[in-house]
Amino acid sequence: MTKNSLKTGPDELGYYGEGTSAMGGMAVGETLMPALHELNQGFEEAIKDKEFLDEFAYYCKHYIGRPSPLYFAENLTRELGGARILFKQEHLNHTGSHKITNSLFQVLLAKRMGKKSLICESGAGQHYSATAAVAAKFGMPLIGVMGEVDIARVNQNIIKAKHYGAKLKAVPGTLKEAITDAIKTWTTNPEFAYICGSVVSAHPFPKIVAFAQSIIGREIREQSLEQEGKIPDMIVGCVGGGSNFAGAIYDFLDEPNISKIGVEASETAALSNGTPGIMQGMKTYMLQTDDGAKSLGGMSLGAGITYFSVGPLHSYLKDQKAVTYSSATDQEMLEAYKIIARTEGICSALEPMAAAAEVIFRQAKDKPKDYTICLSLCGRGEKDLDTIQEHIGKDFE
Amino acid sequence: MSKRFKKIFDNNNPKTKLVSYFVGCYPSPDQSFELIKQAIDNGVSILEIGYCTSEASAEGPVIKAAHDHVLRSGYTLNDTINLVKKIRDYNKEVGILLMGYIANLYKYPINKFVNDIKKAGADAVLVVDAPHELKEENELRDALNDNGLSLIKLAAPTTDQKRLEDIVKISSGFIYQVNVSGVTGVKSANEIDVANFVKRIKNLTNIPVCSGFGIKNPEDAKKVANSGCNGVIVGSTFVKYIQDNINAPDLTQSFGKQVQSFSEVLK
Repeated sequence: MTKNSLKTGPDELGYYGEGTSAMGGMAVGETLMPALHELNQGFEEAIKDKEFLDEFAYYCKHYIGRPSPLYFAENLTRELGGARILFKQEHLNHTGSHKITNSLFQVLLAKRMGKKSLICESGAGQHYSATAAVAAKFGMPLIGVMGEVDIARVNQNIIKAKHYGAKLKAVPGTLKEAITDAIKTWTTNPEFAYICGSVVSAHPFPKIVAFAQSIIGREIREQSLEQEGKIPDMIVGCVGGGSNFAGAIYDFLDEPNISKIGVEASETAALSNGTPGIMQGMKTYMLQTDDGAKSLGGMSLGAGITYFSVGPLHSYLKDQKAVTYSSATDQEMLEAYKIIARTEGICSALEPMAAAAEVIFRQAKDKPKDYTICLSLCGRGEKDLDTIQEHIGKDFE
Repeated sequence: MSKRFKKIFDNNNPKTKLVSYFVGCYPSPDQSFELIKQAIDNGVSILEIGYCTSEASAEGPVIKAAHDHVLRSGYTLNDTINLVKKIRDYNKEVGILLMGYIANLYKYPINKFVNDIKKAGADAVLVVDAPHELKEENELRDALNDNGLSLIKLAAPTTDQKRLEDIVKISSGFIYQVNVSGVTGVKSANEIDVANFVKRIKNLTNIPVCSGFGIKNPEDAKKVANSGCNGVIVGSTFVKYIQDNINAPDLTQSFGKQVQSFSEVLK
């Protein structure tokens, strides 16, 4: 990799970029610093170990069901009458989202490092149920931390994780509170492995999660070349912490001719409306009071993208103007859900409908027919059916 | 290191210093000031004045509740710095350090923060989530050193020997020895572990060591003092006392007695 590459990853202290504008870093208490350095070393060793990578690849294929298909959404394409739309079908992975690839990678890494117990946080419960599944598979106990608001709205994931044997710790609030509490829980048990669900928190988590999820983009390249005879002209994904979108675009970061659009929930659009700050282990854009004392941000229907902050890689890519970031409202997400359910027979999770809204309402229509847009459909909708029914159930009568 | 810190630790009376943590402006700036005056009058050598952050990642339920109360009431880091100034006007000898998280300092920003707290009469700063790997820690440490103030560094039970050597090298004022792995005010400190840890640090440096976390009563304080540390830090226990008696008309006086019960055993 060259110095001018956007793919060189963070430096040894976790910074993306240089000088005072660098994003990321390690802003945690002393108790966790040795664990973070140990994890970084464990990661660097593991990714040079062919046997380890082969094991990861084996379970990606046979346990998760990778590669997830790249699917030509013919009906949606026809309806919009513009660009050719491809769905990266991450929702077809085992446990129903992209999250399990990262859970699998980090649990295998924890096992390789001799860890005996696991902690994770979760917003939509996708990371919790995915990590619980992998933890069950490899016989490791797991404590998951989730906000009470989310526990109530994504009940299916909670039930599944319980069946896999995981223990749930409920805290008031949503993903934000879950992340802060997961750090506290880890501080209390620094011998545990913390399985971080997104490209957030202190170094080396953003690097590790981006590495695990970058398989999405490599699959997109290979599948698109084979099926379409070219790589996509545009990749669009939703962003909460930003792991699915980071994974989808990582392989293409040094190809500026490919447009990349990350879409946040408009209520918690850290990249569009936030300022740089340092909370939850990292320096990144976030919604906060001017004095940095309080995190801010409202509530989106997409539990997994209701997050006041964002992974530092995305803040860096925004500052580099390498990626465009936008946002979508609840209303747009629900409209996009209806269109995709009706045209393609896919019940998507609400989070990727933020990205779908960007494609459907702002990108696809005015593009030529040979322009391809890859939309990352990173989760399935079962967990959101109650929410969807409550808001737009009558529209389907 | 400030002259004041040097004087505090050079003095043999009290034998072990009582260092106490207060959530700045809790429950209000005026009440906070009255409680802190009691603490000074009843034998506290060094005050840790906490400023508040919503995502504080090392606080247990007691201190978190106090932080949330202050944030909800709208008191800011500026109010806490004003409180420091009032404390300094009241007493010239007590050591004062500002303690909290990097989030507020980054936005303040750091250089202005150091100027403002120096003017207010503070001696040091402790930032829980700013290890020496963090760029902003380097910036803060340089600014404090340039102004004759200290950045207090933490050493935890998980800190390995190499890290401990690095931390000792950059320490000034005193080293904050964290007795247990965990958030504030939950686990109890183990006497033998504390003594071994103090010894580990003392083998590397002459900088004073103050031992904190898990000290819940005067007996604990006495035991920890016997480990050979220079100071004993009491945080959640005092904050909880204030919380539990927040509506009591004689809170200020009774709190003074509470502090005295600790300072007495450290003479």
